[in-house]
Amino acid sequence: MTEPVAALTDFSLSLVRNGIRNQVLERIDLQIRPGEILGLVGESGSGKSVLALSLLGLLPHTSHPQADGQVTVSGVDMVRAGPAELRRVRGEVLGAIFQDPMTSLNPTMRIGKQIGEVTHDDAESVRLLETVGVRDAQLRLRVYPHELSGGLRQRVMAAIAVGGRPGLIVADEPTTALDVTVQAQLLDLLRELRDEFGCSVLLITHDLGVADQIADRLAVLHHGELVEIGPASDVVRNPQHDYTRSLLASRLSLTMPRDERFSGAADDSEPAVRIRDLRRTFTVRRGVRWARGSYREINAVDGVDLDIAPGEALAIVGESGSGKSTLLRIVAGLEKPTSGSVTLAGTGGPQMVFQDAGSSLTPWMSVGETLGERLRPLKLSRAEVRQRVIAALAAVDLPPEVAKARPGELSGGQRQRVVLARATMIPPAVLLCDEPTSALDASLAKSVLALIRDLRARIGMTVLFVTHDLAVARLMGDRIAVMQAGRVVELGPAEQVIAEPREPYTRTLLAAVPEIVEGAVS
Amino acid sequence: MTAILVPRGRLRPVSVGGARLARPMAWALVGLLALVTLVAVFARQLAPYNPIQPVGPINLPPLSPGHLLGTDGIGRDLLSRTLIGIQVSWLSALVVVASGLLIGGTIGLIAGATGGWVDSVLLMRLTDLFLALPGALVAIAIVAALGSGLVNTLIGVALVWWPYYARIVRGETKALAARPHVEAARLAGVGRPRILTRHLLPGVVPTAVVSASLDIGNVVLLLAALSFLGLGQRAPAPELGADTARALSQLLSQWWVPGIPGIAVLLLSLIANVGGDAIRNLIPVRR
Repeated sequence: MTEPVAALTDFSLSLVRNGIRNQVLERIDLQIRPGEILGLVGESGSGKSVLALSLLGLLPHTSHPQADGQVTVSGVDMVRAGPAELRRVRGEVLGAIFQDPMTSLNPTMRIGKQIGEVTHDDAESVRLLETVGVRDAQLRLRVYPHELSGGLRQRVMAAIAVGGRPGLIVADEPTTALDVTVQAQLLDLLRELRDEFGCSVLLITHDLGVADQIADRLAVLHHGELVEIGPASDVVRNPQHDYTRSLLASRLSLTMPRDERFSGAADDSEPAVRIRDLRRTFTVRRGVRWARGSYREINAVDGVDLDIAPGEALAIVGESGSGKSTLLRIVAGLEKPTSGSVTLAGTGGPQMVFQDAGSSLTPWMSVGETLGERLRPLKLSRAEVRQRVIAALAAVDLPPEVAKARPGELSGGQRQRVVLARATMIPPAVLLCDEPTSALDASLAKSVLALIRDLRARIGMTVLFVTHDLAVARLMGDRIAVMQAGRVVELGPAEQVIAEPREPYTRTLLAAVPEIVEGAVS
Repeated sequence: MTAILVPRGRLRPVSVGGARLARPMAWALVGLLALVTLVAVFARQLAPYNPIQPVGPINLPPLSPGHLLGTDGIGRDLLSRTLIGIQVSWLSALVVVASGLLIGGTIGLIAGATGGWVDSVLLMRLTDLFLALPGALVAIAIVAALGSGLVNTLIGVALVWWPYYARIVRGETKALAARPHVEAARLAGVGRPRILTRHLLPGVVPTAVVSASLDIGNVVLLLAALSFLGLGQRAPAPELGADTARALSQLLSQWWVPGIPGIAVLLLSLIANVGGDAIRNLIPVRR
């Protein structure tokens, strides 16, 4: 029938990483048809981004790629062609949207100039920006990338990607860094672009829900092998391969079963955390062009009152910029409030689990040393410290050998477990979790969440859990507080907030979550 | 209960020097640095003659029998004088850089980790004050005030040398202190001194060592320049800069007498620079 826009034929690829050659892709056969949206799903390390780079002819030379088979885009071999031809194909046939628009846009160039590199015409640039839904496009041409929000930046990337009228847009995790509402808009945009320009889209994502929403066909990648490919709704609702099934099962959804652990503060005991009229104001100098050197105040936290009972878990949900992380940092004592108070009952102080476990562990200290630091005030003997460290590691299902490892030698999930061990080896007054699983694959995230619930049950910990993911909030929180622009707009029992949201904002958030409806998943 | 999460099939390879040995050139240059240091330390044992006493005919050209690099205007062996000169220059440079690292590093670390007025008013303005002074001139002034001599020269140079390290270390410390691992340590109840020494210092060391190693060449040159001006050791002790200066009148007739110590200075600073570059390439600066 019709020629595919791009095709991988029996394509294998190995790359050198840290002096060791790894097989990254294994005999992939894949065609991208004209005008289709092909979803490519897989966990981190499955080789999906490398596949995208192969298609774009951007494999890094420093990792000495060795390829078998072919990757062709409009008849050109993207692995072996010369630089001039690659550039021609990239310019005429391909467009790319990457995960982080801040790093893929040039920070020193105005938006207009960057789009102009593709369009060579301001009027066309404005039209493109309007197509991708940027308002006041004429004005935006003059701004720099850092002056735009994440969603807008991603739209600018999309404008650049479609500017050259490509036959194929490669979008590598384009929505991962975005809020759910923005994500929904961007997915709509991709579909509109396909409809308007008739181009194909390769949408790479780790989220089956996202893929299911807009993809026509779905390919599942696992350890460099294509394990399943078919019409999206078939793959999602009637998966053939075990791995696809496990991916679906590990998806956190709003309907997954959840155990009640805490039945509300029955007694009138003192709350474990009492937050009263908390405010935090940041002063930001506005850009010179926008005002006359004036200062603007941002109320990151704008009068929050919360009581958390001992042993309760409260989940705080909100989009980026809603002030949820600032609130958490104030409770942790890492930041001072402008006004208001936080009172913690009990001993042990607050402990925090950070979003990026890797950077919250000191890279040159062994895990044993890091955990041992928590015990220093107790003035234990060496043997006792070693015992407690091993016990703490066992509590988070890590073997004792991990004590000798440096954080760099551990996987993301293991690091998050170490952080949890450090936070809970002495029971804290309150455990503060700042999006602890947003950087992890779904299956890992699920096990880490299970571990937090487990630890909580074991030592009766109070938990304050910040997340942007409503499914996670429902799973982790006894109650959910929805934050918007520094205020708590809705607060109630988890099931009630999800099932019968009162506030329009909560409803918007819920509607934007990509759910797989009628999932026949067992 | 969840299973242990070992990443399947993709264990992060622990680097066991494999990646490092892939850069033999860099290691050769670092080896050269070590060799120069060894030569400097054992110069007295390596020198064939007493460097201060005349031991042969005057103004012998290089490659003469018994005197590999020839002799100077009063018959002293140039190889011996150069070796001892290298010892003085090289070890002094190391001492200056090390003391600069110690003073500047301490100030930078405290300033970067403390922040606030201690950082911006007290320590960094003090550093800027020293940075604003023309280094060589201040060193000359200090030496002139204290009297010439090797120790005084070293004190003078060290006093103008530390502010660079204070700046570098302070910047690195500030960047590190903003990382979550420092906050995590604070939450874990770790005290300030220990945060400085265990959670910040090891991250700063690579950058500081790299910039210091690149600096050795500069210090060698500055010391040579000072002794060229007569602010180093007193005659007849051998010193590369002073030897060059004293024999300058012979440049056209017996070029090797001023030339050989001059070339030694050139080689020392060249080796220090390429060696420093090699160290920079070998040490992964942590981010």
